[in-house]
Amino acid sequence: MGTIVLDGKEFEVDGDGFLTSPEIWNEETASLVAKEDGTGELNEKHWAVINCIREYWLEKDMAPMVRIICKTTGIRLKELYELFPMGPAKGACKIAGLPKPDGCV
Amino acid sequence: MVEKKYQPALDIFDKMLHGKLKTHLNSCVHCGLCGESCLYYLTHKEDKYIPGKKVDLISAIYRRYYTLLGKTVPKWVGAKDLNDETVAEMVDLIYGACTMCGRCSMHCSIGVDIAFLVRAGRSMLVEINKVVPGLQSTVDAALNTGNNMGIPRDELIDTIEWIAEDLEMELDDEKATIPLDKKGAKVLYTLNPREPKFFPLSISAAAKIFYAAGEDWTLSPDAYDVTNYCYFSGDDKGGAVITQRLVDKVAELGCETLVLAECGHGFRGNRWEGPNYINKSYPFNEISIVELIVEYIREGRIKLDPAKNTKKVTIHDPCNMVREGGVIEEQRFILKQAVSDFVEMTPHGVNNFCCGGGGGQLAMSEYAERRIKVGKIKADQIRATGAEIVVTPCHNCIDQLMELNKEYKLNVEIKTIGEIVADAIVI
Ligand code: SF4
Ligand code: SF4
Repeated sequence: MGTIVLDGKEFEVDGDGFLTSPEIWNEETASLVAKEDGTGELNEKHWAVINCIREYWLEKDMAPMVRIICKTTGIRLKELYELFPMGPAKGACKIAGLPKPDGCV
Repeated sequence: MVEKKYQPALDIFDKMLHGKLKTHLNSCVHCGLCGESCLYYLTHKEDKYIPGKKVDLISAIYRRYYTLLGKTVPKWVGAKDLNDETVAEMVDLIYGACTMCGRCSMHCSIGVDIAFLVRAGRSMLVEINKVVPGLQSTVDAALNTGNNMGIPRDELIDTIEWIAEDLEMELDDEKATIPLDKKGAKVLYTLNPREPKFFPLSISAAAKIFYAAGEDWTLSPDAYDVTNYCYFSGDDKGGAVITQRLVDKVAELGCETLVLAECGHGFRGNRWEGPNYINKSYPFNEISIVELIVEYIREGRIKLDPAKNTKKVTIHDPCNMVREGGVIEEQRFILKQAVSDFVEMTPHGVNNFCCGGGGGQLAMSEYAERRIKVGKIKADQIRATGAEIVVTPCHNCIDQLMELNKEYKLNVEIKTIGEIVADAIVI
């Protein structure tokens, strides 16, 4: 565990940079994490993905399958990987403030 | 003799003290030669990271409880109690500073099987509930839900159908499908749960290869997970439960061959450790999809055109599949047919460096910083090849390589063998 300082603000994160208290997430933390991890400025499509992940997680307590992200947002798989160079887990889910998923990610 | 809460660790140690463990515990001569082979020592240059020192943690406990001098004058012979301090040290170094890559064992002048001892140490820690929480969480997901990401059955099926529809469109043939639970299929294929959850392109690549080869294959939504994180945590009982799932499914469906997806520890766990876990040899064949692709090429069942992959490609060898698993030349044979510009890393093959993500490290956020640091060795190796694409037959390695790619600004694409083969296939 540790903290990251983004634009002068401090957040608690786990060793992989996922927020340790997912409830403190807001649009600002999302933008800051995205800037730090190389995703860059968040556009409308990024937000569609982030909101989809966030809402799914709030309802079901797990990250959605990538199929659901594509279906809900209308974004194609290849474009999703371009939007989030770190992938759906260490990219999109991290920016959306979810805890780190289990498994090889 | 030992605090009650730590007794279970000694009990299992006692059970494990058969020939091999005892010999390897007693043979280290402290020459330190293994240091230069370990990514942790090479990165940090601190003595505690020398592989022989990790062995020492366990042999000190052996001496304390199993030798006369250790019992009477422990300090003289470097014997140590199993107590809060030594347990914390074991957790930090045996879980937190070893990827069980086995490279040190190759370089030890007398052949001490260090990775085996590290695993024995992990088994002791399992018994006293000291598995690092990040790792235990993935083990629990696998034991409780049937796959290590907790994917619900219906969502898995929806994803497979979604991929199959796309493939059917791409190939313009309704026979290009992904058959689920097909009784009597020749091949039962497996997945790393990471594929359906987040990275399904490797599933469509495999399906495309099976289609091109005219294979009679199937996937089961109830038993498909190729991983076995109990191998990483050191939990042999859990390891048996997970192994048995695939074994039972092959029998139930009456398949001839279990084909393991691209997963280093999944290959080792199922092919080499599995029969030990369940104490039985398998009544079916079992191969990696990498070996199967070689068969397809040799038998002329698939045709590859290297002109379809013209970027410079290098390969990363997953430790558990290559050094520890014996699949060494197969992936090179494939790449020479599938790409036009192939370059090796230095060193490679059985002498390869671990990417830093093995041994369950990827699941342990607790040690993520170390993992990225030790991965610099791999990043430098990749950069030196000048390759634009890194191929590796392991989803775990892929995730680590993705992080190294970002951290060390390598600017490479990372692919599975299946993906690069699917790109080259002539249909
Ligand atoms: S198995 Fe690999 S990581 Fe572990 S001590 Fe040996 S060289 Fe180091
Ligand atoms: S090379 Fe072998 S004998 Fe030498 S310190 Fe390492 S484990 Fe011990």
